[in-house]
Amino acid sequence: MSVDQEETHQRLKAAVHYTIGQLCQKLGEDHRRKFSRQVVAAIAETTFRQCDIFAKDLEAFARHAKRSTVSTEDVKLIARRSTALSIHIQNKIEELSQEQKDSKKKSAGKRKSRDTEEDSRE
Amino acid sequence: MADPDADIIFKKNTVSKLLSSFFKEDKTRLSSDAVLLMAEILKVFVQEAAVRSQKQAESEDCDQVDIEHFEKILPQLLLDF
Repeated sequence: MSVDQEETHQRLKAAVHYTIGQLCQKLGEDHRRKFSRQVVAAIAETTFRQCDIFAKDLEAFARHAKRSTVSTEDVKLIARRSTALSIHIQNKIEELSQEQKDSKKKSAGKRKSRDTEEDSRE
Repeated sequence: MADPDADIIFKKNTVSKLLSSFFKEDKTRLSSDAVLLMAEILKVFVQEAAVRSQKQAESEDCDQVDIEHFEKILPQLLLDF
């Protein structure tokens, strides 16, 4: 690996570590059980390596579907091993497509009335 | 952070660069929805790791989550994802 690639790798690792640190701190406060720094570092390392597996899987799924762009369909396959996770992801996908529809409505200029309609229905 | 209640998530840019750096072929691209979903999956992964470690620490009556607790939950965590 070249020096340049090595550096981006390190930076990405640091970014992942930072976000995980924040997540752990929040959970530690919520459940009144703090995480040692070693645990945060271990979770970061695990997540980083898991990402490697996820990325290679996503690439293979996309290739199998004869695409060169990874789509939401491929992400659905990543979440196939756990029922709860795949349901969660399915809901997220619906949420995203709903948002896209809403933003289209916005450009059509009918947003306000419809949004209030939807809010009252919820 | 300005809003303490705001959801902590991985930045879109980070996830996109992270995944791209692991792709074997350079021409593989990511759709923006796929990036958002992967950020969500990674968040769930980290939360699972953290909460399971906390549960393990709780069952051992420890006030702090230590590496040994994480070690114990790691195999099942990896099998679940």
